[in-house]
Amino acid sequence: MRPPGAALVALAGTAALALVPALAPAYYATLMVPFFAYAIALLGFNLLFGKAGLLSFGHAMFLGLGAYGAAVMAGVLHVHSFEAVLCATMLAAAIVAVPIGFVCVRYTGIFFGMLTLAFGMLFYSFLFKFYYVTGGDSGMRVPRMSILGLDFARYNKIEFLAGPFYYYCLALLVAAGVLMWRIVHSPFGLHLRTVGDNARKAEYLGVHVRRCRLVAFVVSAAFGAAGGAILGFRIGLADPELVYWTQSGQLVFMAVLGGFAHFLGPIIGALAYIVLQDQLQSLTPYWRFVLGAILAVVVIGFPTGLAGLADDLRRRFRRSGA
Amino acid sequence: MTALLETRNVSKSFGPLRALEDVSLRFDAGELVAVVGPNGAGKTTLVNLLTGLLKPTSGEVLFMGRSIAGVGPVKLADRGLARSFQLIAVFPRLTVAETIAAAVVSRQKKRWRLLSRLAADTEVERRVAEVADIFGLRRRLDTVAAALSQGEKKLLDVASAFALDPQVILLDEPTSGVSTADKHGIMTTLIAAGKAAGVKGIVLVEHDMDLVAAYSQRIIALAEGRMLADLPPDKFFADPALIAAVVGKPRGR
Amino acid sequence: MAAFANILVGGAFHAAVLFLAAAGLQLVFGVQKILNLACGSFYALGAYFGVTFITAAAGAGLSPWLILPGLIVAGLLLGVIGPPIERMLRSVYERDESFQLLLTFALVLMFQDVFRFIWGANPRSLDSGYLIYGTINAREFSVPVYNLLVIAAAIGTAAGLGAFLQRTNFGRILRATAENRAMAEALGVDVRRVYSAVFTLGAVLGTTAGALVVPTAAASLDMAIDFVIEAFAVVVIGGLGSMRGALAGALIVGLIRAYAIALYPEVEVLAIYIVVIAVLLVRPTGLFGRPLA
Repeated sequence: MRPPGAALVALAGTAALALVPALAPAYYATLMVPFFAYAIALLGFNLLFGKAGLLSFGHAMFLGLGAYGAAVMAGVLHVHSFEAVLCATMLAAAIVAVPIGFVCVRYTGIFFGMLTLAFGMLFYSFLFKFYYVTGGDSGMRVPRMSILGLDFARYNKIEFLAGPFYYYCLALLVAAGVLMWRIVHSPFGLHLRTVGDNARKAEYLGVHVRRCRLVAFVVSAAFGAAGGAILGFRIGLADPELVYWTQSGQLVFMAVLGGFAHFLGPIIGALAYIVLQDQLQSLTPYWRFVLGAILAVVVIGFPTGLAGLADDLRRRFRRSGA
Repeated sequence: MTALLETRNVSKSFGPLRALEDVSLRFDAGELVAVVGPNGAGKTTLVNLLTGLLKPTSGEVLFMGRSIAGVGPVKLADRGLARSFQLIAVFPRLTVAETIAAAVVSRQKKRWRLLSRLAADTEVERRVAEVADIFGLRRRLDTVAAALSQGEKKLLDVASAFALDPQVILLDEPTSGVSTADKHGIMTTLIAAGKAAGVKGIVLVEHDMDLVAAYSQRIIALAEGRMLADLPPDKFFADPALIAAVVGKPRGR
Repeated sequence: MAAFANILVGGAFHAAVLFLAAAGLQLVFGVQKILNLACGSFYALGAYFGVTFITAAAGAGLSPWLILPGLIVAGLLLGVIGPPIERMLRSVYERDESFQLLLTFALVLMFQDVFRFIWGANPRSLDSGYLIYGTINAREFSVPVYNLLVIAAAIGTAAGLGAFLQRTNFGRILRATAENRAMAEALGVDVRRVYSAVFTLGAVLGTTAGALVVPTAAASLDMAIDFVIEAFAVVVIGGLGSMRGALAGALIVGLIRAYAIALYPEVEVLAIYIVVIAVLLVRPTGLFGRPLA
């Protein structure tokens, strides 16, 4: 996406999002918090998918690490600061991602997908095996934490989520976006994109293909954990279902829906998915079917996603207008 | 004096198939050496051995005195040996500038900078512009590689290899798929680029004997896995039997 | 000893069903290079429809002796879904494999609500009518004859598939298309018909497997997404695209599962996954898969 275009959209989007709590009922603001969580996780996911060309079907495990990490730190270790929890879970996810990534990046395509799926489900089964710690099926509670050292004790849960926490998460998303933008447009980011475009040729230009993939894997894991921690905080619960393979599939869905070739694509996809899911759920009990159908239509007809559609429209508009 | 690139009694078998048999050759600084031979003669295997993709079944492959057997393209690029491809290999979604920049980033050892802005790096930008100029790609810097013409893609492929500042560059049929009219232009560009980039030696794998005659200082002929000859062009083209073995018919109409 | 025999027989029954469904997966992957995430959905569809079909048939006076053939017929009837789904997948054949995976994932989502719509959110099961085939009681373990019949059917199918692929013309065409699609086309093979037939055959294997399992297990919504994991373990261990792999993988997974359930229940999925990862690391092409390009 041409830089000025993307920056404009990002600015406009951020402004619009900032107005939501003021203009819309609290319900919508609380609905948006998971959007922030998924958007941050997807920024990381797309480094792996959109840039390096690696489709992971186990990415939900890092969100799980974030949520359960938050539960352990806040619930068991009584760490009260969300910042500390964020940093710790991101670090933990990065550390776990090193050996897993090391093993997975030796493969591409279907084998990479299968390996990541396997590791994701392995983590899922760990959550059940160690049920005396993780609570098994019922999950682990994530108590309320302080953000920026402030407790907001006089806010009840809804007010907190629709108010201070909303803006906090918006700020986190902007920070994550800026960070990921820097990474993608760095020398490393260039090398990573060569890997995604033509790994064989990349080697001949001195690109350390596997190491680049590994770094992308670890970075995406950290972003995923950040998203998971926010989710855990929002829901108040770390749930094993968060880690099931279909959740990883949902992440891919969001990325493709938004358009994985564009920087802002996955964020748009997360927003579209959350809003769609919410609206559909109130319209029909068979919302999964509709979402599945939408995914099918996107894959078959609009593989460049919403961002790609926007680009096409802009091009057509420019051609006919100018 | 240590040869720039050499093989010593190299043989390579793939199972029962003997692709190369006891081949010894050396490339020294200041030379453009052509490697010729019919299809199946072992040229590709030799190229893959010389560029560290394969390990010889026996014998040694040395670059600047160090063994490069199976070392792999990345390490080789670091040590100063670059290669271009017969079949065009580009990054379809990256621009010309980005393609060249990837090589420059490797050369300037900036691979692991995750947070610095590449667009703001004047060192890289300058070098990219330099290389693009040499290859006449200045106007196409912002064009995505998939949108280039075949000839331009070829140039880009070679340009990105040159951007690595290699000591030796191996060009694998650089003019294949290019119209005859353009072939000589490309060759002179390549040689000038090599000089400008400080390349010490060029290895040229070619089928077009006119180009070989015009530009090489030495010709190495392979047939059926063995080295047939290692001669300067005038001696090479004086031997019709040799030409026939390599090309199948004498040079000229 | 008794415990071991029970485990063996229990594992063999599960392996038999797994083999049938995995064979379908392998066939589709081997020929069309598509990894069908909706294989679990086919399996569940077979299970749900099996329950409905037999219940309706029993109501219409079907002899309880005909439960086994009845379930097989139910599975076969579902073959009608093969061609239309294959047509839908056709639009992404030429594209990146990520898109193919995603399209089959879309199918999974859609099927979940189809099940909910037709059969509701609660599990459905058959009564124990299958016990009419009797049980074999030997010393200290017992096994329903039904299970043995299913195992026999699976073995028969394995042999039949093998013969079909190796000895018949269509089988040869199938293997040629799997090997090199472009060349098969150049030789006059109507690849589209082959793909349609293969996908339908794969679907039928999956639905029949699901149908055969319902006397012993309930059809449920979770079945569709849980089964994918097991089927996937089978094809990884056995090797993508290989029939022999489906057999070997199914046996191994079936036995691990039975062993784990009997002795260390909480290790069940864990054990399977550790084996899968180990195989993917040590020998990514599995036991019988073809080497990576």
